Amino acid sequence: MAVAGRVLLATLAVLVATIPAGSAAARPAHRAVTVPAPPGGAAPVDGFRSVRTFDLVAEPARLRIPAVQVDTALQRLGRRPDGTVAVPDSPNVAGWYAQGPRPGQPGPAVLLGHVDSVRGPGVFFRVEELSPGAVVYVDRVDGTTGSFRVVRVVKVPKTSFPTDLVYSPTLQPSLQLVTCGGTFDHRAGSYRDNVIVYAVPS
Amino acid sequence: MKTWTGLCVAGMVLLVAGSSVAARPVQAPGSAVRLPPAGNAVAAGNAVAAPLPPPDLALRLESLLGEHSVLAADLMRGRIRGEQDFAQTANAALGQNTDAMTDLISSNFGPAAADRFKSLWQLHVTALFTYASGLAGADEGVRSGARVTLVGFERDLAGFFADASQGRLNRDVAQAAVLMHVNHLLQQADAYAGHDYATADRISREGYAHTYAMGRDIAAALVPPGQAAALDAPVWRLHSELGRLLAEHVVLIVDATRAGVVNGPDFTAAADAVNGNTRDLAGAVASLFGPAAAASFQSLWADHIDQIMAYTAAVLSRNGEGRDAAVAKLGIFENRFATFLQTATERRLDATGLAKALLAHDQMLLHQTDAYAAKQYQQAHDMAHQTYAQMFDVAGQFADAFGATVAARLPSGSPQTGLGGMAGVVGER
Repeated sequence: MAVAGRVLLATLAVLVATIPAGSAAARPAHRAVTVPAPPGGAAPVDGFRSVRTFDLVAEPARLRIPAVQVDTALQRLGRRPDGTVAVPDSPNVAGWYAQGPRPGQPGPAVLLGHVDSVRGPGVFFRVEELSPGAVVYVDRVDGTTGSFRVVRVVKVPKTSFPTDLVYSPTLQPSLQLVTCGGTFDHRAGSYRDNVIVYAVPS
Repeated sequence: MKTWTGLCVAGMVLLVAGSSVAARPVQAPGSAVRLPPAGNAVAAGNAVAAPLPPPDLALRLESLLGEHSVLAADLMRGRIRGEQDFAQTANAALGQNTDAMTDLISSNFGPAAADRFKSLWQLHVTALFTYASGLAGADEGVRSGARVTLVGFERDLAGFFADASQGRLNRDVAQAAVLMHVNHLLQQADAYAGHDYATADRISREGYAHTYAMGRDIAAALVPPGQAAALDAPVWRLHSELGRLLAEHVVLIVDATRAGVVNGPDFTAAADAVNGNTRDLAGAVASLFGPAAAASFQSLWADHIDQIMAYTAAVLSRNGEGRDAAVAKLGIFENRFATFLQTATERRLDATGLAKALLAHDQMLLHQTDAYAAKQYQQAHDMAHQTYAQMFDVAGQFADAFGATVAARLPSGSPQTGLGGMAGVVGER
């Protein structure tokens, strides 16, 4: 490094010394000579004021997944008193975990939907069929739409649900769709697995 | 009127040493002044250090590659402006950055890999300087020659990474990433030479983000299979992203204060870039703690930036009272901001230690501005580097505290999103 560094410095010195008069570099440099601020503080730095607003991504209103014919309103969801996540009231409507990021904000946004009801298919009945590359749209209350691309679909036992990977903050925008899957435990009245679809902005 | 650099550095460093978020202070070579930690800087010729675990290796590579993109742009812009002294010190800083990356590769992948990397990387830096010289001299032949060299560099460096990763990093993918890095630097230089500073700074921000991210991708490919999964852990990703945002804050405000303190024509674009980073930081806080906390955060953060700029304006106009006023207001910010973060993290961050770290951050930025205004470019680069490195220590502390605060509020258990009406179909999938 030392030799190469000296070579570069020497090259730099030679090149600087040989700048032809009239070239761009021979003109008065932008910062080479300090320009006094005009009286009255008219220099741009004198009038600088930091920005005090930012663009907040609007809340999600609707979910559309053309590949599996999903088109649903989104219910706001929170946590139950026992600490588990609340699920949508209706099997035909999906929900957004509103205590986490909004879809498109930095971090993981989580949408939940039922795979079925006691009588028939739920809004996320076919979500397990999604493949990497499938497109997911989230329409927001301000009229904008976020577009996401499926990167991974996994089925995990409920006993080892990856709370960390689904909910934990990362500051990288992502969308997680969560529903049930696997075999049904009739005694517990619950499916044994969860299906998680991981998607990223497209 | 105070001479900030002269009076405050010693006190600043003592405070840094007592901070909970700052690492060990070190002795600056040839100086009686104890400076804040050198962070990622590794002096050339040091003994080979122990290999870093993948998460630390990736963070270090992100930091060093991001800083490389900034210093390379400094070198090119200094050359375009015809500021020989500044370009030389930028080149020296680039050399230290290259040495640090070489040491990192040596400790993790052996001296042969490090030697090959270093020779390629130095060729890259030389070609970038040559390209900037071609811009400064309006010599298309020089620029074309540099481009040819850079194309060869892109191919050879991609080959290096593909070989070192034993094929885990595809050669074409690596070459595309290196090409994008080079293009960012050339395009920002083109725009800067054409006085299109807004475009130059927009491309530089993209280039910083891209080069920073390369650090994670390279580390993931180079470490043994199975160990890269650590880089998918949410807490690591949070640390990485906070590091990028906070370090970019340093990079951009250093650039803006340099432009501002000499009343340069590129100040407005540089200040707009600072604002872009501020919006991104507020957006991150909104995601973690909600819109109301983000608004409070941004108000305090804006106070901080306004006073750094007010100090810069006072240096430009030689207004001692203005300097003192800015320093006093920064002190108010530091305490308020530390208290805000202590509350937001439910006391996982300590306000007293945090205020000291913020004081150190502000003082290093002011010292950098003083040095640049006095054309003490070596000092300016050193202080910019120290401030940059400190941000990664801060980012680690923030990531731990923010992550734990949010994690404590996450749902537990698994969602119950099925009632069994279609169990016969669902169970057969």
